[in-house]
Amino acid sequence: MSGSLKPALKSRIWRFWPLYPAALFLGFFFLYPSVLLLSISFVDGEGALSAVHYKHLFASATYVKVLLITLKIAGWTTVFAILAGYPVAYLLATVKSSTRNSLIIWVLMPFWTSFLVRTFAWIVLLGRKGAINQWLEALGFVDRPVAMIFNFTGVMIGMVHALMPLCILTMLSVMENIDRNLTKAASTLGARGGPAFWRVYFPLSVPGIAAGGMLVFITALGFFITPALLGGARDTMIVQVIIFQIQEVLNWGFAGAVAMLLFVSVVAIFVLYDRLLGLSTLSGQSEQGSGGRSGLVARIGKVLGGLFIELMATLTEWMGRLWDTIFPRRADVARTSFARGGAWVTALLVIAFLALPALFIIPVSFTEAGFLSWPPKGFSTKWYESVIGSGIWFNAALRSFVVAIMSAFFGMCIGVPAAFFLARQNFFGKGAVFAFLVSPIIIPNIIIAVALFYLYSRLGLTGTTIGLVFGHTILAIPYVVITIMAVIKNYDIRLDQAAWTLGANKIKTLWLVTFPLIRAGMIAAFMFAFIISFDELTIALFVTGGEVTTLPKQMWDDALLRVSPALAAVATLLLLFMSAFILLSEFIRRRSAS
Amino acid sequence: MTKDKLSNFSRRTFLGATAAGATVLAAPFVKPSWANERKIVMRDPGGPFTPGFGAAFYEPFKKETGIEVVGLQSSHEPTGQIKAMIEAKNYTWDGASLSKASHQSLVNLGYLEEIAPKGGPGPNLSKIPESMRTPHLMGTDVYATLIAYRTDTMGKNPPKNWKDLWDVKGVPGARSLRKHPFDTMEAALMADGVAPADLYPIDFDRAFKSLDKIKDDVAVWWTGGAQTSQLLKAGEVDCLFTWNGRAQVAIDDGAPVELVWDQALWTFEGWTILKGGPKADLVREFIEFCAQGKQQALYTPHVAYGPTAPDAYEFVDPERAKVLPTNPEYIKKMVNVDTDFWGKNKESASEKFNAWLLS
Repeated sequence: MSGSLKPALKSRIWRFWPLYPAALFLGFFFLYPSVLLLSISFVDGEGALSAVHYKHLFASATYVKVLLITLKIAGWTTVFAILAGYPVAYLLATVKSSTRNSLIIWVLMPFWTSFLVRTFAWIVLLGRKGAINQWLEALGFVDRPVAMIFNFTGVMIGMVHALMPLCILTMLSVMENIDRNLTKAASTLGARGGPAFWRVYFPLSVPGIAAGGMLVFITALGFFITPALLGGARDTMIVQVIIFQIQEVLNWGFAGAVAMLLFVSVVAIFVLYDRLLGLSTLSGQSEQGSGGRSGLVARIGKVLGGLFIELMATLTEWMGRLWDTIFPRRADVARTSFARGGAWVTALLVIAFLALPALFIIPVSFTEAGFLSWPPKGFSTKWYESVIGSGIWFNAALRSFVVAIMSAFFGMCIGVPAAFFLARQNFFGKGAVFAFLVSPIIIPNIIIAVALFYLYSRLGLTGTTIGLVFGHTILAIPYVVITIMAVIKNYDIRLDQAAWTLGANKIKTLWLVTFPLIRAGMIAAFMFAFIISFDELTIALFVTGGEVTTLPKQMWDDALLRVSPALAAVATLLLLFMSAFILLSEFIRRRSAS
Repeated sequence: MTKDKLSNFSRRTFLGATAAGATVLAAPFVKPSWANERKIVMRDPGGPFTPGFGAAFYEPFKKETGIEVVGLQSSHEPTGQIKAMIEAKNYTWDGASLSKASHQSLVNLGYLEEIAPKGGPGPNLSKIPESMRTPHLMGTDVYATLIAYRTDTMGKNPPKNWKDLWDVKGVPGARSLRKHPFDTMEAALMADGVAPADLYPIDFDRAFKSLDKIKDDVAVWWTGGAQTSQLLKAGEVDCLFTWNGRAQVAIDDGAPVELVWDQALWTFEGWTILKGGPKADLVREFIEFCAQGKQQALYTPHVAYGPTAPDAYEFVDPERAKVLPTNPEYIKKMVNVDTDFWGKNKESASEKFNAWLLS
């Protein structure tokens, strides 16, 4: 042990090594340039320190109102995504693996249809003259069209649809690690299905709900195209205001102030969340062990959570008893599980909702008309010919694919060690580190884009694919960290310890024991990182100046005057390719397993 | 404990794809140095402008001068991006196609070059009407914001002007307005009886009072051009106002839609040069080339916007001329948008408009 550092200090520095890649990467590519940019909000036009932008921010109620609307939209999106997604995740976690794999393909469908195509598909489906209203009127259910879009309902439909897969996969990766024998044990001891679920299974799945909910909430804050296209007069997101200030008014100081308002509000919500539920719902601390959470809010949270579980358990218990009273059980007949049937029906309905626009796009892409329309006019493959005929689309798709894979890969390399460390270690400032690691999705993409542009200009990275990859890696890290932390929460560290006692070293244990067991979470994290990059437009347009053509950029370009069925054709091809890809790798895996 | 789960479908194939992708990545990793080449990069609106400007400007210019022009696309009105390029002295683009209003914001910062060379504007540029160019912007195309309606639902009683668009009872039909103060303010004032000559400076109070009258009857607040063509084509609304090119796309695809040129608002977009860029003189040469009527006429089959050069209509197909805003028939009935006013009032107007929407 040579070196001038004292051993104690040295070991303390080494202890934090899993955080270093994330800290260095985000520090350099995200924190440093973003802080420089946001600091403009604290100076006036002459460069003197001033609160002028913040005074402006609060001079009228408008910006606070827009913030509240944004939080409301993100909040309701989260609630609906959890409520509708939970039965699906539960079902997927408890069916046999072949059924699960074929169902997951449907759950993932929203991922593979670009946000632009998806949003226009909703207009064609749900509009006044849309497919659903046509059917409802034809069947005589309604006299005049139901207003399903261009209002808050439309925003919810569009956003819940886009974000629910995120929630389902996160919850699923946690649920997969719940030992089902625990529920069985409860049944053996006499608990009915309902109470056994609420008292045993549900509490164990809470980390999944927490992580999934958080991912949906902060991702929803950054949405603006869906609310703009499907919403009404009042559905304005704060990101729109920031983009307007940056791109059109060129008042970057004020844009920074609005971004700070958003950031501070979200951090405040995090703190409240931490007090109420504890970040421990995400990390590995056990409730009893950590005594870190005390205080009134924490106790209220605990009591409320406990009450909720008691209430649900008692309710289901009574319902079960009532049922048994009305229809006395016969010892020779197995108990029919209505809850199970209910879960199936709900889950299948939700899955149908998720797959609907994607399936709708397929017939629409064969239209002869120049617009997405219902019913499709005639039958034509001309849109496919135009897409396949020009190499532009193929190159754009390939580049997006490569950028997304590389971003996800880097995001995993940087995010996974950090997530492990955060989940398993307790240290001072853990909450702050967590907030820092997830802040790239709270800071609007346009701010990151501008900040990166200045940084890249000095590094000569503008207009390069690798610069774009780094930009997307910034966004990938939060998704990786949150998802992996949630999976590790339920991970039994004794399995690792068992491997160590049997002589495996740390790396071997990680590779042969830990990773295989949390594989579901790893894949979910990778997939989120992949899709975030695959659908990203703002950073791609800004830092490359249009030199690097990705798939969303090509779609955006093509949709200047209209969203043509060519985009539906692209979406259909992508859907087929991705689904085939998933099926094929599943097939290969089974063959190699047997 | 075997966990064959959602996890299983991917690792191997993802790895394979990564390897294959390395080739794609390698090429653009090293940025080509264009500094010494006779090549300029221009931001253009993309979409149908790509083939349009290619045929009208990029290809013939290269043939004549040997200078290659690369058209790149970006988000709409990328003034923020240009500001960043100039401040970072990183000229991804040498010039850009901008709307007059956007160009004004950059001129206010001193971020655009003059388009004329030192000796004054060349013979082509000087022929462009004064109203369709500025010292920092050469108009390539004029566009109109106008009322478009479905003839199948409103054909018998169509909106003939802004007053009719506001008259929900007298001229029934589902309506859509723009979720932006631009054009909406002018429309609201003219609907309230303000004469086109008296529009500016905008009387915001009066405009919002006028908007109050139809706020509850607006079926859709649109935010993007592609959305309006979809709304028109599908008959999602019966009338709206939009840019003539967007409505034209729906008409060209067979939608029963009619345009109202009376009291339409017109402005233009065109070429600008980024301040301090290394290729400014080459771009000036290019701009002089684009000021020719016979060149401008070549984009009109692709984009239904109006050429600015006075002699362009000698080369435009007469059928097509019927849908172009600079058609002498139409332009005399239209109102010119005061972009100087908007350049100064964009931010406060947007703030007022948002406050009104949320009230």
